[in-house]
Amino acid sequence: MVDNRGNSSNNISSDSREGFNYNFAGDRHHHDELVKEQDRLLPIANVGRIMKQILPPNAKISKEAKETMQECVSEFISFVTGEASDKCHKEKRKTVNGDDICWALSTLGFDDYSEPLKRYLHRFRELEGEKAQQSKANSGGEDQRNEVVAVSAATASTTSSSTPLMKFNMMNERGNSSISRRY
Amino acid sequence: MRQAGKYSGFMMCGGISGRTGPHSLPLARIKKIMKKSGEDVKMISGEAPIVFSKACELFIEELTRRSWATTLQGKRRILHKDDVASAVMATDIFDFLVSMVSETASPSEDGTLPEEEETAGSS
Repeated sequence: MVDNRGNSSNNISSDSREGFNYNFAGDRHHHDELVKEQDRLLPIANVGRIMKQILPPNAKISKEAKETMQECVSEFISFVTGEASDKCHKEKRKTVNGDDICWALSTLGFDDYSEPLKRYLHRFRELEGEKAQQSKANSGGEDQRNEVVAVSAATASTTSSSTPLMKFNMMNERGNSSISRRY
Repeated sequence: MRQAGKYSGFMMCGGISGRTGPHSLPLARIKKIMKKSGEDVKMISGEAPIVFSKACELFIEELTRRSWATTLQGKRRILHKDDVASAVMATDIFDFLVSMVSETASPSEDGTLPEEEETAGSS
């Protein structure tokens, strides 16, 4: 650890491994290394809280156990991301998306997570779609809203809750302007 | 993070995990860890860290549950690092963690932990 504090000499092109230009590199450099270390782990408070939530009330968790769990989670993220990223690479896609993560989890043996996560992701996308449509509609006026909601419902074809809207949409596609039913 | 507020309504629906409140793990940090996993990982969609925040929760829950089983076997109430190591060894899908926990494991893994705070009452 080099002590350059209060040094106005030209240490600008420092030998710091990080390549940062600090005149007072001493403590700051060490601090930066610690910060980088923290970046690769999820916060211990969050991790600890999740652990605590599924244990009985009288259970205690050692600090080391929480730290080990932090490391395990980061390793888990890297492991799964690596698999997902390989898939994208093979398929010549640049962006790792939610489906890739679900697929990777399933491939790596985390089947139990895969299904709940797919539902989670699907729901998230639905809500995203609705929110996007809403903000469009808000800028364009109220009338557009019904039409726009019908469109987003049609695209989320697997949701049963949108069935009435889908029927409405299908009638439009047939070009029937009058609400007539075929008996 | 800006997004956290936007999605807190989504999480508060309670329909998915039954939990209220925003994501329990910081999305930006998850994204950083994802990026560090390899050279190939350049672009990550916005939804990927969100899926991971849920996946990590499930992972922590499972590993914790299994670790606690070891704790109980030792008639203890404090979950120790070695309990986590045991759970990893005993579970196939946690094979990717084996080298990591054996690096950090203490020499005595046969239940006689020197730093154990509660004795099992075996004398």
